[in-house]
Amino acid sequence: MWSYILRNLAYSLLIIFGVLTVTFFLLYILPGDPARMMLGQRADVASVDAVREELGLNKPLYVQYARFMTNAFKGDLGRSYATNRNVVTTILEKFPATALLSFSALFFSSVIGVLIGIISAVKKYTFTDNAAMIFALFGISIPSFAFGLIMALVFGHLLKWFPISGYINDGWQYLVLPMVTLALRPMAITARITRSSMLEVMNQDYVRTAKAKGLSQGKVVFKHTLRNALNPVVTTISASLAATLGGVFFIEYIFNWPGIGLLAVDAIFKLDFPMIQGTVLFSAIVFVIINFFVDIVYAMLDPKVKLS
Amino acid sequence: MTQENTENIKRLEDSFAMLDDKSHSLWYYSWKRLKRNKLAMIGLWTLVLLVIIALFAPVIAPFDPNLQILEFAAKPIGFEGDVVQVRQQSGNSEDKFVAVKSIVSEDGDKIVFKGYDDQEFSINRPEIISDDGKIIRKVKYYLGTDRFGRDVLSRLIYGSRVSLTVGLISESIAIFIGIILGSMAGFFRGKTDAVVMWFVNVIFAFPAILLIIALSVVLGKGLWQAFVAIGLTGWVDIARIVRGQFFSLRETDFVEATKAIGFKPFRIMIRHILPNALGPVIVTGTVGLAAAIIFEASLSFLGLGVQPPTASWGQMIFDGYKYIVVGTNWGLAVFPSIAIMITVFAVNLLGDGLRDAFDPKLKQ
Repeated sequence: MWSYILRNLAYSLLIIFGVLTVTFFLLYILPGDPARMMLGQRADVASVDAVREELGLNKPLYVQYARFMTNAFKGDLGRSYATNRNVVTTILEKFPATALLSFSALFFSSVIGVLIGIISAVKKYTFTDNAAMIFALFGISIPSFAFGLIMALVFGHLLKWFPISGYINDGWQYLVLPMVTLALRPMAITARITRSSMLEVMNQDYVRTAKAKGLSQGKVVFKHTLRNALNPVVTTISASLAATLGGVFFIEYIFNWPGIGLLAVDAIFKLDFPMIQGTVLFSAIVFVIINFFVDIVYAMLDPKVKLS
Repeated sequence: MTQENTENIKRLEDSFAMLDDKSHSLWYYSWKRLKRNKLAMIGLWTLVLLVIIALFAPVIAPFDPNLQILEFAAKPIGFEGDVVQVRQQSGNSEDKFVAVKSIVSEDGDKIVFKGYDDQEFSINRPEIISDDGKIIRKVKYYLGTDRFGRDVLSRLIYGSRVSLTVGLISESIAIFIGIILGSMAGFFRGKTDAVVMWFVNVIFAFPAILLIIALSVVLGKGLWQAFVAIGLTGWVDIARIVRGQFFSLRETDFVEATKAIGFKPFRIMIRHILPNALGPVIVTGTVGLAAAIIFEASLSFLGLGVQPPTASWGQMIFDGYKYIVVGTNWGLAVFPSIAIMITVFAVNLLGDGLRDAFDPKLKQ
């Protein structure tokens, strides 16, 4: 087990190294002069030169790369062009809001998604099943920002059930619309996977035996089918985390939720490159870390993984 | 003979054709299966329709998508307005539409109109273009107008061009990169595989949309930048699928045979393994196409990607978004959302159908 964990840890670090490298080159190929962007077009040559010197921009590529990597490992991603605040500090301030939104959406989508999948599988090829699956396909087909706008329009403006802009500090109602919007896509995917996985298990002999024994439908569905069908579902849910981390950007922007997504979108509008770089890097690293833990939990639960 | 009978015979013939004629390829049978899937065919025909709309946009659209009549800005669905079409003096510029309320007087060649600002002005009769002798024309905006007085319906129609081209081209880029890297990893295995999979995992760690946004910020705004940004991020899934296919196909007897004959690796990969791996690639590519269309819309929504005045759905949603916030003219954001949804829905229907068609074992 420990060797498995260590091996995974080493690989995760290797991935983070790659993530850092990709992010560095993303910014390195950027047209224009970062020093001038920082100071604005009116800055005089002397101060631009001073900043270039300070950031090491006139050093050769490998020196800049080494500098970036060491700084990144120290947790220093520079300062925002727009606010001149430390990028990492700003991101860490905003992270709890994003984590709250993502995890509540993930929880909501998993519970509802699995339920829809079970109902669909039990009532396969009926109207309920078709309606649920068309709904799921709809959930996969609509861009998150478009769905967010429609939610805001219907439940915010027309029905006035929930507020459309603000943070949970002002009340739980503020969480509802962004959470449901963010949950739609993972919910749809989870429902589809649960259904097909359930259907596959339902064809197994032991399920037929359970039915033949005269067990109640509830027992057959939940005890014999669902438990064995859950494996791919759990994989999907952990993959959904990536989808929520990606989807959070537009949804935070639309519902004015003060997390990393809003920070990133603002940075994009202001062309605040260190902040863009920081948010991209941060999301990727969070993803790698979460995956690392998911893999370990898997290995603990599934004996087949441990052997390999 | 009754109609039912003829149909039964036809169905019987169909199934015989599938049974005894062994000369047909895998593609033939997949197509036959796909044709029987109603939802997939709905998706396919919707896409065909969308492609036709995109190709013939100038014929179908009632207006030039960039024609602005500022007097008609932000009008509701079904708005009708009166205009006078005026020939432009300077040769190559387009004819101008002038919004008018009414004719005040006609004096020979000089016609005096009352404009939307209630000011009177005159236009000479020879400058006015009229098809049927009427000076004032009625124009109808079926889906209303945006804040520049442009026709929403026409912009929707033209917007399909952007969505479909960006989707198709960027997904082609993704498939191209994915096939190359995936088949290298799957065929050579060992170190090549480790390096490729490391790269796949690195790119996979980034939320796709963020990487696309970052890339297009770096590359600049525009159409081709959107192709490249989406294409460079979308290959990961394709590479994984191709690698998996190569892993299993490499063990088959016919590949062993090609090795025994002494074919070069490149030839084995391209001629013998790849064609057999294409089914899942097409299925994954369809899913990717749906994602690419959503990504393009997301880019336009952020003002990256295709630049104004070119009509794109994402940008229309962004423009309309402000109207949702103030609670008026919600159609401006909702119609393009529906357009994207229909397109992606159709692609996904087709994708699901293709999955079933290529792998009948999967169908329960």
